Amino acid sequence: MLRSALVPCKEVISNQNILRNLSGSFGNVQLHKREQSTQPVPADRPYSPFQVSKNNLAEYAFARLDDLLNWGRKGSMWPLTFGLACCAVEMMHIAAPRYDMDRYGVVFRASPRQADVILVAGTVTNKMAPALRKVYDQMPEPRWVVSMGSCANGGGYYHYSYSVVRGCDRIIPVDIYVPGCPPTAEALLYGILQLQKKVKRMNTLQMWYRK
Amino acid sequence: MARYFGLDRIFTFLNTIKEAGGIRASLYKLYRMDNLRPGQLVGTDKYGNKYYQNPSYFYGRNRWIEYAPYYGMEYDGSQVPAEWYGWLHYKTDLTPDQDPSRPKYKWMLDHTENLSGTPGQYMPYSTTRPKIEPWIPGRK
Repeated sequence: MLRSALVPCKEVISNQNILRNLSGSFGNVQLHKREQSTQPVPADRPYSPFQVSKNNLAEYAFARLDDLLNWGRKGSMWPLTFGLACCAVEMMHIAAPRYDMDRYGVVFRASPRQADVILVAGTVTNKMAPALRKVYDQMPEPRWVVSMGSCANGGGYYHYSYSVVRGCDRIIPVDIYVPGCPPTAEALLYGILQLQKKVKRMNTLQMWYRK
Repeated sequence: MARYFGLDRIFTFLNTIKEAGGIRASLYKLYRMDNLRPGQLVGTDKYGNKYYQNPSYFYGRNRWIEYAPYYGMEYDGSQVPAEWYGWLHYKTDLTPDQDPSRPKYKWMLDHTENLSGTPGQYMPYSTTRPKIEPWIPGRK
């Protein structure tokens, strides 16, 4: 006890994992600032966001099963094209050879029953809103939404229009917002990669086990 | 003669494997970045990312980055610092060390990657009363 009183915070400071411990499943990004040119190399980033100890074998097994499930999910995300305006042109570009979304397993589907992701590309008008909601409801779980462009994010240029929904997140829950007017195909592809990262953090089976 | 029979491609292939550091290393490189190509190292940034070019590829594919090894599979386009962004995207042909005209001030911030989905992410908040009332289904 005397020892801990004399050297109170030495161990706490040296604990590189304190952030990881605090943040739970997030923690594979080091937040320290990298200022100088000669610095120790940061720790390797693990593939899995679930760093569970092997002491509890069941939890460890479920974490690995989750990794497997998420790997499958993120490697074959089939988007539903919901092209409403000029953003749809950029959405076509990521399907074209230069940006080639097929290499990430992203293939456009025409039916909401077969889709995982809905890419809301363009201005959602009041008239289109019920259709958007209906199409979203027809998608099977798990489903994700990528809102593309400022119109879909928050109304954008048409924010004060009498006939435009001020952001598609008033109708459906959005996972990824891609900014831009319209966003480049590169930006949309980056958004899809961010969605893949998000899917990787899903802990479906672990939550089922904990319940 | 070797060129006529297309044998130089075999030499290029073997050379590429040699440059990558052996068969194991080249297989890892293929797994990690889906690509294995010979290139000339142009520079390294302070985070350890390496920048390569090979002019024999066509424009748009002849400059590339190999992210620092500690990133593993968690690399991301936002890990390219601003100094190298312009070179990598063909805004300039000059690498940061060749270009004397770049501004450098001490108040310039260090580059950070996209922190979305981490504890460091940006969370907007409002201090004003909301203008709209959300509809909560199922509430009587």
